[in-house]
Amino acid sequence: MQDANTESNPAENPSHEEGSVLACDQLHKEFTIGLRLKRVHAVRGVTFAVKPGEIFGYLGPNGAGKTTTMKMAMGLIGSTSGSVTMFGQSVDDPKVRSRVGYLPEHPYFYDYLTAFEILDFYGRLYSIPKSMRLKRIDELLEMVGMSHARNRRLRGFSKGMLQRVGIAQSLIADPDLVVLDEPLGGLDPIGRKDIRDLIYNLRERGKTVFFSSHILHDIETICDRVAIINHGQIVHMGSLDQLLGGEGKLVDVMALQGPNSVDEKTLCQKIEALGASPSIAGSTVTIVVEESVLSSVLSLLLESKLNVIDVTARRISLEEFFMREAGAEDGV
Amino acid sequence: MVFNKQGFGRVGAIAHNTMREALRNRAFIALSVSAVAFIIFSMILSELAVVGEGSRVILNFGFFAISLFVSVTAIVMGAVLLYKEVDKKTIYTIISKPVPRYEFIIGKYLGLLGILFIELVALACVWFLVITTDGGEITTAHMVGIGLILFEAMIVTGLAVMFSAMTNPALTALFTTGLFAIGRVHYVVQEMLQAKEGVFVDQPWARPIGDLVVGVVPDLGVFNVSQQVLLGLEIGSSYLGQSLVYALGYVAIFLCLAIFAFQRRDFV
Repeated sequence: MQDANTESNPAENPSHEEGSVLACDQLHKEFTIGLRLKRVHAVRGVTFAVKPGEIFGYLGPNGAGKTTTMKMAMGLIGSTSGSVTMFGQSVDDPKVRSRVGYLPEHPYFYDYLTAFEILDFYGRLYSIPKSMRLKRIDELLEMVGMSHARNRRLRGFSKGMLQRVGIAQSLIADPDLVVLDEPLGGLDPIGRKDIRDLIYNLRERGKTVFFSSHILHDIETICDRVAIINHGQIVHMGSLDQLLGGEGKLVDVMALQGPNSVDEKTLCQKIEALGASPSIAGSTVTIVVEESVLSSVLSLLLESKLNVIDVTARRISLEEFFMREAGAEDGV
Repeated sequence: MVFNKQGFGRVGAIAHNTMREALRNRAFIALSVSAVAFIIFSMILSELAVVGEGSRVILNFGFFAISLFVSVTAIVMGAVLLYKEVDKKTIYTIISKPVPRYEFIIGKYLGLLGILFIELVALACVWFLVITTDGGEITTAHMVGIGLILFEAMIVTGLAVMFSAMTNPALTALFTTGLFAIGRVHYVVQEMLQAKEGVFVDQPWARPIGDLVVGVVPDLGVFNVSQQVLLGLEIGSSYLGQSLVYALGYVAIFLCLAIFAFQRRDFV
């Protein structure tokens, strides 16, 4: 395994690793928009490789280039330059997609069809024999919790139900690689847990999952490795340990204000002066501090007559890492 | 383009779904019901006709109504055929499967043609019922006439699919209707070009345009045999065969152009 620094640097990261399931090599996409034919560089030299059996998260703010990359991988958009391969074959050959399942962002389906009919249709596109197709449809509807709506038209489905049907259609051919664009969007907490479990289940069965999400907590929970894309370029890539391990620990400090404590405004100013950000709810003060300033913050709290009731060290979260990186990228 | 058993299966699935969509589409049902009403209306008109001309009215009216409504259906349904897939983004879940884009175009074309075939057969049955109710007789020539309307529908559908792959529904409908209308008066343009006087003589600059129209636009008059049927003339099988080859030639060209345009599109 490469060390964190090597893998975090996309320039030194080889895309065509031996036996990679999905590999992008120096992928570029330029769009021409408007009457003035203004050029927009949506993806700039994206290079990464997804290994067999891993869950690879693709993360970035809106407009970063996530969906464009996925669409190039799925043959919906042609690249301006660079290449995308799946199982070592160019994605220009539609045959390669017989081993791939894809869920687009905000999936749209023929709403005049029933859940059964739509899955049967997609099964036919994969040339799955009828008997196998029928068996698979029932299994999938059961798996995504939609058996009760088997013969209902999609027209009456909620967003969450459509998302579940979308997941089911992406798995109809029992693909080796599943590409999911925002699979957790539109789902309630129970639905999100179901889909997370389903993704775990896919990994247990040896499948490879490449997915994007805005829900950073889910990416952190599920993924083996992540790539962070911003302004069309991959800015970080690696396992979560590689990305977050070198960032130092954060400490959550909780303290209670008493009758003799200094006033809130003064307290906040003093804490902020130490580079930490407090939040106050009632008499409880919660502060997230970096390890290096912990002793100074604790001294300040004691001097200010607050009772420190909890101090918990933890790794920086992906969200904190992402916000910090996005802020740095945008010069915030 | 390579077709194997799996390819035929995928094309069949897309065609089947296109037909299913049309059959559940209110516009299609409304057009078909209007066509049936139009044909039945010919019975009333025949009653008003000069004595002995009633059967002529039913025959002419039937050919005209069936041909018109099948073509209008082809234009209306064809105009949104591909646009809807792209606009509603349903195409994402199709092209991302092992489906070459040409199979998608061919599947959509065959699906639309299938629905026109169903409409044509249904309208022909109503028409034949009207003829027999009026005391007339159904001959082979009637059947051939219906077959030729199907060939014409093949061309109009091909045109609609081609424009649908290149532009939006409004322009698709406009261009397809325009070429359909020119195709119907193709013989008039031909006669004007051969005439020793008229617009092409007075305006020499217009002659290349006339030549282009005659050379490029399909002559849809080939598929109208209502006069031959009326006069009881025999329409040979060779004429039917030649018309089919003529239609297939144009369909092949239109679909190739549609595939060429569609192959290059980004589905953003």
